[in-house]
This record gives sequence, structure tokens and C-alpha cells, in this order.
Amino acid sequence: MRPPATRHRPALLAVPTALLVALAGCGTPTADGAADAPGDVLVVEHAQGTTEVPRDPQRVVVHDLSVLDTLDALGVEVVGVPDFEAGDALPGYEDVETVGTLHEPDVEAVAALEPDLVVVAARSSTSFDALSEVAPTIDLTVDQADFLPSARERVETLGEIFGLEDEVAERLDAVDALAEETAALAADAGTGLVVMTSAAEVGAYGAGSRFGLVHDELGVAPADPDIPEASHGDVVSFEYLAETDPDHLFVLDRDAIIGEGGTAAAEVLDNPLVARTAAARAGDVHYLDSFAWYIAPSGLTSLETMVGEVHAALA
Amino acid sequence: MTTTSPHDAGPAAPWRAAGLRRAAGSRPAAVAAAALVVAGALASLFLGAADLAPADLLAARSLDDPAVELLLVSRGPRLLALLLAGSAMAVAGLLMMHLTRNRFVSPSTAGTVEWAQLGLLLATLVLGSTGVLERMLVAVVAALAGTALFLRLLRRLVLADTLLVPLVGLMLGAVVSGVTTGIAYRADLLPVLATWTAGDASGIIAGRFELLWLVVVALAVAWWQADRFTVAGLGEGTAVSLGVDHGAVVRVGLVVVAVVTAVVVVVVGAVPFVALVVPNLVTIVVGDDIRRALPVTAAAGAAFVLLCDVVGRVVVHPYEIPVGTVAGVIGGVVFLVVLLRLRGRGVSA
Amino acid sequence: MTTSTSPATTAHEAGTGPSDAERRAAARRWRVVVVLAALVLLAAAALLLLGVRGDWGFVLGLRGRRLGALVVAGVAVGVSTVLFQTVTANRIITPGIMGFDALYVLVQTVAVATLGTLVVVTADVRVRFALEVLVLLAFGLLLHALVLRSTASGDVLLLVLVGVVLGATFTSATLLVSRVIDPNEALTLQDLLFARVGTVDRQLLPLGAAVVAVVAAAALRRAPVLDVVALGREAAVGLGVAHRREVRRAFLLVAVLVAVSTALVGPLTFLGLLAANVARELLGTHAHRWSLPTASLVAVLALVGGQVVLERLLGWGTALTVVVDVVGGLYLLVLLVRQGRPHTRGALL
Repeated sequence: MRPPATRHRPALLAVPTALLVALAGCGTPTADGAADAPGDVLVVEHAQGTTEVPRDPQRVVVHDLSVLDTLDALGVEVVGVPDFEAGDALPGYEDVETVGTLHEPDVEAVAALEPDLVVVAARSSTSFDALSEVAPTIDLTVDQADFLPSARERVETLGEIFGLEDEVAERLDAVDALAEETAALAADAGTGLVVMTSAAEVGAYGAGSRFGLVHDELGVAPADPDIPEASHGDVVSFEYLAETDPDHLFVLDRDAIIGEGGTAAAEVLDNPLVARTAAARAGDVHYLDSFAWYIAPSGLTSLETMVGEVHAALA
Repeated sequence: MTTTSPHDAGPAAPWRAAGLRRAAGSRPAAVAAAALVVAGALASLFLGAADLAPADLLAARSLDDPAVELLLVSRGPRLLALLLAGSAMAVAGLLMMHLTRNRFVSPSTAGTVEWAQLGLLLATLVLGSTGVLERMLVAVVAALAGTALFLRLLRRLVLADTLLVPLVGLMLGAVVSGVTTGIAYRADLLPVLATWTAGDASGIIAGRFELLWLVVVALAVAWWQADRFTVAGLGEGTAVSLGVDHGAVVRVGLVVVAVVTAVVVVVVGAVPFVALVVPNLVTIVVGDDIRRALPVTAAAGAAFVLLCDVVGRVVVHPYEIPVGTVAGVIGGVVFLVVLLRLRGRGVSA
Repeated sequence: MTTSTSPATTAHEAGTGPSDAERRAAARRWRVVVVLAALVLLAAAALLLLGVRGDWGFVLGLRGRRLGALVVAGVAVGVSTVLFQTVTANRIITPGIMGFDALYVLVQTVAVATLGTLVVVTADVRVRFALEVLVLLAFGLLLHALVLRSTASGDVLLLVLVGVVLGATFTSATLLVSRVIDPNEALTLQDLLFARVGTVDRQLLPLGAAVVAVVAAAALRRAPVLDVVALGREAAVGLGVAHRREVRRAFLLVAVLVAVSTALVGPLTFLGLLAANVARELLGTHAHRWSLPTASLVAVLALVGGQVVLERLLGWGTALTVVVDVVGGLYLLVLLVRQGRPHTRGALL
């Protein structure tokens, strides 16, 4: 048991002191002391305000797979993750302590790990308040309306916290460069359409949607500019695909993502109406990486994968 | 005995004399239902994401013409699927109504749909989504078992209690769907479950609906056995005294209902209220004789589903709202109006 | 036929010396309440103390709030169901069956669809709560208008069916609205809708507790009047009770209670039914002085005990409300089937 005095409580948080945060850091048995000397804190801006977090925290609990993807890419070790299945992506977390499900963090389990930092985002952002009582917590939910810059900012925040600014900047610059290159290619690549298949249902995504990256930042002209931004994943028929006639069809297989065994998207799309599209005739039906696009879209490797896939599709 | 051919059942058949309600409006109702089906079919054929006008078809010179291909690959199959699903579900509702002697019992108020969904979920978890036939088989078995369970429960209830019976069915359905939700929640399959729950015809093209032809067999059985279902609907005592094996008729009806429900749930998804609203409206107009009501019910069911689908296609054109969702909202409102109007007249089965 | 005490007890009490029998009955009721309270305490202790890791003060605070939420929700469910059953003169009804929960889900979905998850999640929980209460209050008034019309014609089961259909229609409307929600937001919404007992909102709990305490106290204070209301409209009016006003008041109280319990632990369809009927069965009386607290105790016990089982035996992967509902629904079916038999009819309905 730890002496209660070092426990982080909102009541105490209201008394703005770097000292308390530092104390919490010192109380951590495994802290090596070098990185989190008293006073060495960082004020982090995030989706639900600002939080003071220790620099280079040693015991980190992550409750979002995008964030985990980034930390994994940066080689940062974490002490707690949600119970998740991600297929081949993010291997090696079987032995890390699980702290609840993706639905619901187990606050007690998080507290028992005595973390220096808890990161939530997207789905777990609803638990921000509860986890804030346990340890300094930040919400790295990405702004969908401003995806790439927002995702970049989130990754940079993580880089700053762990003192890996240079590596992060290098990799993000590479992503940006590739994005620019992709946009240049897109100018002559004709139109594109992003769809997600689930069972036999097809949903279309346009600019401003969660897969809007393709159009908004990577410059692919939308085959259907009318897909309303507010409505995400409109149900469409195969006729619609034939009628829209995109030059590039980007396909996500939702069933593969959720490990349903999945009617493969290819099987769903194997029909005369899709075959009629310019994309199918030219062999430009591109199946996208489900993990990167759907499960952990704002992780560092996901960003690299996503931009890379569109680049490869247009090249 | 039970071997009485239904075709012997002329106007002089004893149960006809037993005082069956028979309204005069049968013929106009049939004409109206047929007209609605034709209207729905035309709308279904010529409205959609892609433009297709009758003139395009007339102008087509070969089978490879895009207009013809659209008709054969997309519009035609979709129309057929909706026709089959709508008419079969409505007829299944009609049969349930008679077998339980209760106008508020249908596959959607007896838990049949929920059992089929549970079967589908379990089959998907175990078999994966590739074996469509196997999955459907599991769904049929689950629907059959669930509906049989419901009928067994009914035997222990006072059947005269018109509204208690569907209430029990709805609760059974809610319990089953609770189990389904629990499993899906655990397996993080809730979004997939949602796509099944809302019947959706947007993915139907040639090659993706043919299982639905099975319901034609079920419908044929229903037609062939129509008079016996009518008699069974008069109650076990009356049926037996008229020489009909009540138990056998109920079993046949059960299989028809379960097969229809499971096939439709697997291929199209659940379309709420079709099986409840349509037979109720039809029998109000046409009366309780199944042979008379069956074609009108089938036509009206098909028309209802077709029109709901067309509405779903038109409202957010060129995108779609799943037919099950549209039917849920429209059917719910229609059913409420019917219920509240019946209230004034006193509810009777 | 409405809510007379079970025939056996009444006959027994009338036969023997009233004071003696009454004393025995009262003693038995006290025993029931004391045993239930002891079980609740036991479950509460298990929830608080089993498997604590780390800082006790912190863990107890966290678990204390979780316990608080379950207790408040349990009391809300128990009281609201007893009230609702009294004024609808029906014992197989719950606010959940009548579509209250489905409406709550619809309201949440519409909020997420129009405002976005982040706004909904970070908005002041008290504002959100107030809005939900308002919508449910409006729905309560609408149902009240319907119930007045239908109890006048004695057709309460019809009202139930109307409620059920309304619930199904709300569910369809929810599916319709969730079509326009981003899949990620839909997942967050799903998490919002299923109880998040693990992390109870700090502001909502005291607010909900205060509201429930006030409403429950008000109901308890009116227990004698409610006993009269339970006799049915004519009898109540004859005894000088403003039946209409009492019924409307009860509907409003129910709406508030449902809003609290759904906000704290998510939709619960069958728990109230379980609680109210188990309470009556244990007590052998319908006097509200007894049934209100006992039903609340049963509901609390089910929730707290269920949570202990879930946490300690099943892991976190299942939603408490799903489990409780499945068990409650099953119990209800058994109850219906057992009591629906001809010779015991009237005991339940």
C-alpha cells in the first residue's frame, strides 16, 4: 500500500501544484528518478482541457489503440492496456496487464498499477473524469473534421511527453512529404470513392467523413461530391457504385476488422455492377488495411500505412 | 379424417356453415392489393440510385445493354426478393394469427424473429459467415424450436385472453434478444447484429437472394393446407369435431412460419410489423377464411414491403434507408392507429 | 379483478380472528423486510470489500459510488414499477415494457447524432439529465392520456400493447437516426447506453439520489391513498379519492424515476417486474406501505448481487443490465405461465 498522501485526487488537483504531481511521481516504486525529478512536469493540452503530467512517465496506462499504436512505434513501454483483439497488428501485448475492456476501463485495475500517466481517446474518452482521479489523464481524441493536422498534433504531444520529439518529427515529416506527393499524383488520378462493406451491406464515405483523409488531405477528387459530411457511411446499392463510376475504389472490410470471419469484401463486390466501374476495369479496386483505417486511425504507424496505401494506389 | 382434400372444401363444407366471418369487400380488397403491388413493383423497378426509364429498356438492342443488365442484375432481383419476403412474412403472420387464434400474434410478437437472430449469431460465431446455407439451417432450427416453445407456453395460458398472448410472446422475444445482445456485446458484434436487425435490401443483386425461393414452397404448402388452417383457427374442439387433426395442422403451420421467418431474416433481415399489420388489416376487410385471405394478404404484404423499400430509396436518394427501418416506423404508426381504433369496437380475435 | 390480495390469504384472514392473523402477517412482513435488508447489506459488503487491490481509501470511494448508483437505481426501479402497476391496475406492466427505456435510448441517439459524442460526453451531466427528464415527462403525460382512455373502457392490456409497439417504433427510429452516426461515435453511444457502472458520474449520483429520495418519500407518504387507487377507479372515486389526479401524479413520478435509473445504470426492462412481483409474493399483501420498500429492496439486491457475480465470477465483459433483464424476463414468463392457468386466473391480472 502506498501512503494516501501521494494519492492524486481532484480535490487536491484543484490546488494547482506541480509539487503534488511530482510527489506522485516519487511515490512510484519503479521510477528511476532521473527523468522525473521534482518540478519536471509538462502542461499538456488535450481534448478535454489541460493536464500536468510528469516528463517521460515510466508507468503508462493506455486506453486507446491509436495511442498504443503510436507508443508501440516509438518503443515506449506501457504497463496497462485494454483487453483487445487486433489480429496481427500490435503483437506482444499478451503479457501486459489488462485494465478493463475497450467499452469500459476497470478503474480499480488502473489504480492498482499506480500509473504516472493514463491516456484515453475516442471510445474511452467518456471515462476521462473517473480516470483523472487515479492519475494524470489526457484525452487524445482526434478532431475528425481536421484529421491529419489533429492526428499529427496528438502524436507530437506523445513525442513531447516521452522526450522523443526528434524521432516523431522525422517520421511525421515523412508522412507529410508522402501526403504531398500523393496529392500531386491525385491531381491526375481521376475520381475516388471510399466504401466499407459489412455483411452484404455497403456504406459510402465522402469528404469530411472519418475516411475523408483520402479526399481532404490526399487530394483524390470525390466520385460523389454530394455525400453529406454530417452523415457517415450512407448505405448504398451496387447500382450506386456503377452510377458513381469511380476511377479508384477504396474498400474497407468491416467484417475482417471485427474478426467475424467475414464475407470477404472482395466477394461482396464481385458482381457485374461493380465490374462495370472504371476502377474495376482498370484494376483500381484497393483494399485498405482495416486496423490502420478503422481501429487505430490516428496512430503513428497507421498514418504511415494509410498515406502509404493511397500513394501506392495512385502511383 | 385428416385426409380430406382441401379442394373438397366447397361452400357447403361444414365449417363454412360454422359461422365464419366473411366480409363483402373481398373482391375490391384483392383488386386494391393487386394494384398496390403493381404500383410498388413499377416504382421499385424504375426508381433507384442509377437512372432507368422504361424507354431505355425498349431502346435496348441486346442483353449486354447497360439498361438490361441493370434490370437483370439489380432491379429485377431486388423486386423479386422484396415480393417474396413481403408476401411470405405477411402469410406467416396470417397463419400465426389463426394457429393461436389471436390477431396480435405474429412472428415478430412470438419471438420467432429473435430466435432466428440468435441462431444466426451463434452460427456466425461458430461457423464464420461463409456457410450461408449452414447458417440459415441453424436459424431455421432456432426459429422452429423457439416458436414451438411459445406454442407450448400458450397451451398453459388462457387463450381467450387476446392481449396476454402476444405479451408473453413479446417477453419471450425480449428475453431471447437479451441473450443475443449479451453475446454480441461480449464478442463486440453489436454493430453486425444491428445490420441484421434492420432488414436491408440494398445488397440484393442477382445471386444474393435465391435462397428466398424456398419461401415459395412454404407459401404453396400454406395455400394447399389453407382450409385446414381455417378450421384449426376455429379452435381445437371445433377442428377435431370437424375431423381435422389439430396437432398435425399446427405442426405444419409451425414449420411454414419458422422456415419463412428464418429465410427472410437471413437473406433480407427482419422487417418489423409486416407480419402483424398486414394480416390484421386484410382480415378486417376480407374476413377469416384463409383461402380467401391468403392471396390478398400475400399481395398486401408484398406491396407494403415494396413501398417501404421505395420510400427508403427515395428519401435520401441516391443513398438508402434500410427497408426494415422504414417499415418499423411506418408499421408502428399504422399498427398503433389500428389498435386504438379497434379499442372503440372492443378487441376480438 | 384488479389487485385484490391473493384469494387464499384473504379467505384465511377473514376466517380466523383478524387481530391475531394480522399480527402474524405483520410479523412475517417484518421478517421479510429484515431478511432482505440483511441480504442487501451482505451483497453490499461483498461488492465493497472483495478483492481490493491497492489503496483502500480510493477503492472504497470508487466502489462506494458504484454501490450508491446501484442502490439509487434499484430504489427508482422498485418504486416506479409498483406505482405504475398500481395506477394501471396491472401487475405485468413495467415502465420499461411501455417504451420508456426505448425513448431514453432514442433521445440519447438523437443527441449524439445532432450534437456529436464529444458535446454529449463533456456537456454538463445535469443539463443532459434535465433534458432527458423533460422528454420522458412529456411521454409520461401522453401515456397518461392513453391510459385514462383505456382504463375507462377497462382495456389495460391494450394499453400495454400500445406501449410495446411504441417501444418497438422508438427502437426503429433509433436505428434510423443511428444511420447518420459515425461508427466510432456509434460505439461510444453504445457504451453510453449500456450501463457504465464501473465509473459513475460524480455529479449525477447525488442529484439522482436526492431526486429518488424525494420521489420515494412522496410515494410512501401517499401509500394509503395509493392503496385506495389500487382498488380501481370506481371504488377509489367512491371512497373520495381524486383518482384522476393521483394517476397523473404517479405517471409523472414514474417518468422522473425512469430517467434517474436509466441515466445511472442504463435501460432495465424487466427488473421492476421481478422486484414488484417477488415483493408481493413474499409479503402476501399489496399495501403500499410494505410493497414500495420491499420491491425496492428486491431490486437493489438483484442489482448489487448481480454486479458482485459479474465482477467476481464473469469478468467485466458483460453488461449488468443485460443479465438482470434476461433473468427478470425469464422469471416473468414463469409467473405468467403459472398464474395464467384457468384456476388461478385473476391472481395476476
